[in-house]
Amino acid sequence: MRVLVIHAHPDPESFGRALLTAALDGLSRAGHDATVIDLYALDYPGGPTRDEWRAYETESPVLDPMVAEHVELVRSAEALVFVYPTWWSAMPAIMKSWLERTMVMGLAFTLDERTRLIRPGLGHVRHLVGISTYGSPRWYVKLVNDNGRRTITRTLRLSTGGTARTTWLPLYTLDGQSPEGRTAFLDRVRRSMEKLS
Amino acid sequence: MKVLVVHAHPDPESFNHELMQRVVRGLRSADHDVRVRDLYAENFDPRLSLDEKRNHIAPPDTKPQLAEYYDELRWCEALVFVHPTWWGAQPAMLKGWIDRVWACGVAWELPEGAKRLKPTLHNVRRIVTFTTHGSPWRINALQGVPGRRIVNRSLRVICHPLCRTRWIALYSMDSSTPDRRERFLRRAERVASRL
Repeated sequence: MRVLVIHAHPDPESFGRALLTAALDGLSRAGHDATVIDLYALDYPGGPTRDEWRAYETESPVLDPMVAEHVELVRSAEALVFVYPTWWSAMPAIMKSWLERTMVMGLAFTLDERTRLIRPGLGHVRHLVGISTYGSPRWYVKLVNDNGRRTITRTLRLSTGGTARTTWLPLYTLDGQSPEGRTAFLDRVRRSMEKLS
Repeated sequence: MKVLVVHAHPDPESFNHELMQRVVRGLRSADHDVRVRDLYAENFDPRLSLDEKRNHIAPPDTKPQLAEYYDELRWCEALVFVHPTWWGAQPAMLKGWIDRVWACGVAWELPEGAKRLKPTLHNVRRIVTFTTHGSPWRINALQGVPGRRIVNRSLRVICHPLCRTRWIALYSMDSSTPDRRERFLRRAERVASRL
């Protein structure tokens, strides 16, 4: 299976990076063909520009060659895996920017000219996966609505026509985890990615 | 009242930019002390840096590049957000303002030995959002209203214990008529003038 892994963490020596490595380990053990987009390493921009916004609903919404490349990667992916730390209950800005710039008209959805309603465009994506760390405990994350998770497992899932399976791998209370707790979570991520089908 | 308006839209000729201007006009008509942060106009970098991440519990004076932003967040009594809703939530530009500016020693503290952070942004007593959604209300409901809850829950708990929130939204922008948009602008200005 072709898997596109999107990663956001400013620190290449972080636990967040170890999660990426664990996910890739699991995917390669299962023989999946994984491609990584490491947003901080790419110095990915922080949002669509004025010209990109103006082009968004046109026939050619992509102006940046890097975005064009990412659009092709999404088009051929059967699974999208997001690996990021949750900040303020949601994904880091750089990852939100990636969604805004990549998931354009013609890829993530199409606009029905007659009704002016959008139609899903990611029907080929069978699996959506999120791997995320949280500073807060689980009850608190639930209280504030786990917004990053909802952006992926609901908002993005609507673009698959509601058909994609979703897997969410959260590690709560990151700062309170023992080294064993962290290792156990890395194992869980590895195993879960190995079983992705 | 001291009001900080934070705006994120890349196009100064957009409906959303006009919305921001009408909101500011409404606020000024009621003699509020208004400051505007137009994040795109000033080319704000919304990406939390490696240095900011590694020093995220260091005191604010270790990040002089954000001093101005910290000061106005501590200064305001009301926060007003004006932005489009994209992928169910705030534009990356605005999310990044939150990621970087709502920092330790500004919005919260982590006292020695404490396990949970302590909210300190008690100066903020009102949060009002003016936003536009391309899709209908029911789509946003299916999405689980993430954008609204990032602000009205996750940020709200850091503010004054009695802080009140409001969400003023125009849904179905993609199929809206000029008349409906104009009515929304008038409503937004009215709401702002009565803050």
